[in-house]
Amino acid sequence: MLITADGNHHTGEPMNTGVAVQSVVQIGDLIPRGTRMNVFQSIYWVFIALGTLVGVVVVGYMVYNAYRYREGGSHAEDGDDERPTLGEIPTGGGKGRKLFLSFGLSAVVVISLIVWTYGTLLYVESPVAAQESDQEELEIQVVGRQFSWEFVYPNGHSSFELVVPEDTRVRLVVTSDDVFHNFGIPSLRAKTDAIPGQTTETWFIADQPGEYQAHCYELCGAGHSGMNANVVVMQQSAYDEWYANTSGGGGNTSDTSGNASENGTRTTSEALTA
Amino acid sequence: MSSIKRWFVTTNHKDVGILYLVTSLFFLIFGGLLALLIRVQLLQPGGTILADAAYNQTVSAHGLLMVFWFLSPLAFGFANYVVPLQIGAKDLAFPRLNALSYWLYLFSGLLLGISFFQGGTFSGGWTMYAPLNVPIYMPSIGATTTVLALLMFTASVTVGGVNFLTTIHRMRAPGLTLRRMPLFTWTILLTVWMMLFAFAALLAALMILSSDRIFGTVYFAATDSGGSVLWAHLFWFFGHPEVYIVFFPALGVMAEIFQTFTGRRIVGRKWFIASMVLVAIQSFMVWMHHMFLTSINLPVKTLFMATTIGISLPFDLMVFALIYTTIKGKIRFKTPFLFAFGALVLFILGGITGVFLGAVVLDYEFRGTYWVVAHFHYVMVGGVTGLVGGIYYWYPKITGKMYDEFLGKVHFALYFVGFNLVYFPMFLAWETPRRVFDYPEAFTPWHQLATVGAFVLGASFLVMFYNLYASLVTGEDAAPDPWRYVTTAEWAVPSPPPLENYPGRPSYDGGALQFLEEAGPRPSGIAAADGGAGTRTDGGVAATADGALAGGHDHEESHASIWPFGLSLAGFFLLVGLSGVNTGGTAYVALTVAGFALGAYTLVGMARESQTFHGPSGPFGESWPFAKVENMKLGMWFFLASDVVLFGAFIGSYVFIRVAFGWGAWEPVPHDPVPGLMNTYILLTSSFAVVMAMVAAQKGSRNGVVASLLVTILLGIGFLGNKGIEWLELFHEGLWLSTNVQTSTFFLTTGLHAAHVIVGLFIALYMLVRAWGGAYLDDDKPVEYFGLYWHFVDIVWLFLFPLFYIL
Amino acid sequence: MNTKLYAVIYVVLFVFATLQVAVEFAGLTYWTAFWLIMALSAIKAVLVAAYFQHLRYEPRAITYVVAIGVVAAIALTAAASYSITGT
Ligand SMILES: [Cu+2]
Ligand SMILES: [Cu+2]
Repeated sequence: MLITADGNHHTGEPMNTGVAVQSVVQIGDLIPRGTRMNVFQSIYWVFIALGTLVGVVVVGYMVYNAYRYREGGSHAEDGDDERPTLGEIPTGGGKGRKLFLSFGLSAVVVISLIVWTYGTLLYVESPVAAQESDQEELEIQVVGRQFSWEFVYPNGHSSFELVVPEDTRVRLVVTSDDVFHNFGIPSLRAKTDAIPGQTTETWFIADQPGEYQAHCYELCGAGHSGMNANVVVMQQSAYDEWYANTSGGGGNTSDTSGNASENGTRTTSEALTA
Repeated sequence: MSSIKRWFVTTNHKDVGILYLVTSLFFLIFGGLLALLIRVQLLQPGGTILADAAYNQTVSAHGLLMVFWFLSPLAFGFANYVVPLQIGAKDLAFPRLNALSYWLYLFSGLLLGISFFQGGTFSGGWTMYAPLNVPIYMPSIGATTTVLALLMFTASVTVGGVNFLTTIHRMRAPGLTLRRMPLFTWTILLTVWMMLFAFAALLAALMILSSDRIFGTVYFAATDSGGSVLWAHLFWFFGHPEVYIVFFPALGVMAEIFQTFTGRRIVGRKWFIASMVLVAIQSFMVWMHHMFLTSINLPVKTLFMATTIGISLPFDLMVFALIYTTIKGKIRFKTPFLFAFGALVLFILGGITGVFLGAVVLDYEFRGTYWVVAHFHYVMVGGVTGLVGGIYYWYPKITGKMYDEFLGKVHFALYFVGFNLVYFPMFLAWETPRRVFDYPEAFTPWHQLATVGAFVLGASFLVMFYNLYASLVTGEDAAPDPWRYVTTAEWAVPSPPPLENYPGRPSYDGGALQFLEEAGPRPSGIAAADGGAGTRTDGGVAATADGALAGGHDHEESHASIWPFGLSLAGFFLLVGLSGVNTGGTAYVALTVAGFALGAYTLVGMARESQTFHGPSGPFGESWPFAKVENMKLGMWFFLASDVVLFGAFIGSYVFIRVAFGWGAWEPVPHDPVPGLMNTYILLTSSFAVVMAMVAAQKGSRNGVVASLLVTILLGIGFLGNKGIEWLELFHEGLWLSTNVQTSTFFLTTGLHAAHVIVGLFIALYMLVRAWGGAYLDDDKPVEYFGLYWHFVDIVWLFLFPLFYIL
Repeated sequence: MNTKLYAVIYVVLFVFATLQVAVEFAGLTYWTAFWLIMALSAIKAVLVAAYFQHLRYEPRAITYVVAIGVVAAIALTAAASYSITGT
């Protein structure tokens, strides 16, 4: 089971050092996969649930003890035979066993959570094999500059609006022309640094046609707050039509919407809450 | 001595501690007002009170002020006041350096204040990412001043770190081994260890940035050679340890308060300490978790994910230790305990949300959002909560007055509600991008809640300030131990403690704190219990009788020094001048020159004073593991260790840039290695000459000392002359600092080394004059310590030569 | 400590410095020469530290303090440089 699952997903794809670890930790469907939204949602909610549980239990226990052993309470005399005195050499109290038990438990929880997400990290870092075979992927160059995003398509078409087809893996190769930015499309859970002189990659699959917003996530100067871009997800046929009408060799097409001032951040709320 | 003058010349650790505390609270108000401005701007989308540039400046200054000028200095106010008392020392090892730390800190803060009026302060966030931080993108003089302010602050921290390391390691009372040290002192010890190395890396980053901004080198602008990422590496190599540098003292305060107000000793004390040691070490191995979305490769991501999780585990143990300490306690909910308890709750929430960030896949999405903002405010301001507990805890000790308990509780209630009201909604609105002055409408309610919370939090501090101020006048007199169940030594002396701290020599040899009669130097050997001469202090009251207050606050002349203040003032002028020396006109040039001259004058004054000014002298009780090293020598070595990291970071930057550039494609700037080889010979010979000076001093030969020092100086000048000729030739060929990344790294790294040579020459010159007058013959230590520095400069060159001339 | 030992150390340092440049012209491959030259630098540094700074005769703890600094710097350099290599 474990081996077949692994084999199915990774035939022929050369992976880096992670491969050995992956075959150990990747217990079939336990590792979240799919679009970036799927991946994020499943991990995020597990963390939220466990985090809330741990927080409530630990803080609750703290408060319970603080109340139980309050001065004047019925248990306040419990430890009266061993109160510290001024000038004594500092030593520790007892109950080391309990301490290590709780510590061990917390370590197990934390480590297993992280190991679990590591499988997904490997998937996110190298998802090609996970994609369904009949789909081709789309690679788009993203260039950040103060204070706009430019998208360059394989045919050389360049635009200030990101237009992509639905259900296709879109690979973004991101860099910057000036300072350090960070390109992110929150609703599609794609994000990566835009660093001058370096390229980074991220990817996403949009499964809903519609309009989304991209933002800059690294302070980059006066216009940082408005460094947004429209992201339009189309059905495959509409996209094909749109793409056929783009001209290669640069030049911004008429549908570019420029930067912050025209674009406004107000429209993002719909996309974000969608 | 008049009471105003006293504060300018004091070197006493308790005075300096008070100065630190008061000044840090001033910067809290400064940073807090900026925070309120931010929150007003974010009251609703499209707010207009802080437009783009103003908002970015506000955010940046708020972060810098709170992290650097408020948090650590507040902790070091306590450290100054309490640590010597806890370990049984009369003062820090180097009292004048302690005052110097403080004045450098104060003036660096003033420098930051000035930057607002020089065309706007730094506006690239407290993380100062490159290349936004270079003049092409941020041309204002004020931005340069901010960088220089931080540079000056770093100098303050380094001086302070060396001082505390020497003090805590060398000057503990007999019987107070490291294992037995109070937890607050433990946290400070680990904090200064981290500071020593972390701030050296920051110093390198800031020096390079200053050079980029003032001399036009192109490190961070060299984006084709990784310049942008280089900043992130240097900054976060410092930045992650900085989190613990800020948090550890708060942890120490919490541990002390928990023990006192529960009436319990901490559970698993040695594991608590071991966890902290582990964290301190590991803190230098996690920095790239701030860079998961940069171009770093997957193996490195994996490694840093693992170390990051590793470092979170010891904190679990510490949290559980504190929680279990309450069991079987007799818990008194006084203000200090409320704050410490609240701090633990907040820290737990901060910790849990931090685990989210440790999962790289989640970190990818949280990067640059309010999740990060909320998380680190829970941790950092959680730490502040603990430190505020410390304010109430030690207020009676420091002032001799009790604060008003009711107002203290009111403060806590407002504070805790306000805190959660401002930061928790940030988790709910986490999709808001960080550092934007505008945000999607959907988040409006959460941001409005946060703004309300910010004002409640701010108002709570008004209650505190009123309480602290009014209690000075109307508070009841505080007993030496106002709390009960305290253990540490500061509670065994009156409140406030007398100038000399103790009514006798503190010792733990008898199995508990005793004050032995002052009887000259203690005979060697730790077991000397001096018979039963000690007066056991039960409850500490007995000790007050010894006329301990007689000294009052009048300082003996030998404990006063104006030079730390003077030197810092000179540094202030120098840096204000430097900020605009290339773009700001003649006033800036004049200030630079004036600052330099005043600096030279004060340095000579301070050096001359050294002959009469003496810090606490040994022998001390416990000095492990540096028992056989004298204070000054140990201080020198700590300083050199930080200098190792400074040069290491410079060389590391060179290597990194060269790797990014393509190692093999890189040509050394000097065309031929012979001048470099000559300089290698010269420096090696000068090192030998310094050794000869020391040998001559030991043999009592005045002529030998003078001749050897003279040779050293001549060789040093020869080194600089040779280098000068080489540089001039390169300049003539049109190779300048700003030409390209090769010349930048070459000139700046070898230039930093040359600056070290020049400093060494000035010291040697000063020593030559004194040697001529017959100094050092009965005490060769200054020659030896100068040698340590000079040989270090030699060693650095041994690596710079091949790296920049041959390879 | 006698003058003679210091003098011997000094001569060794002098010779090693010369050797370093000689290695450059010895016709070795770049990386062989690189490591040889760095090794010579390291040996010289250790000699200066051990004898001129007499770390040999100080408590070992001081050596450790400096060593921590060296290790920290090397870790920063190595990890940062490695992180940008494509693996
Ligand atoms: Cu931006
Ligand atoms: Cu970190």
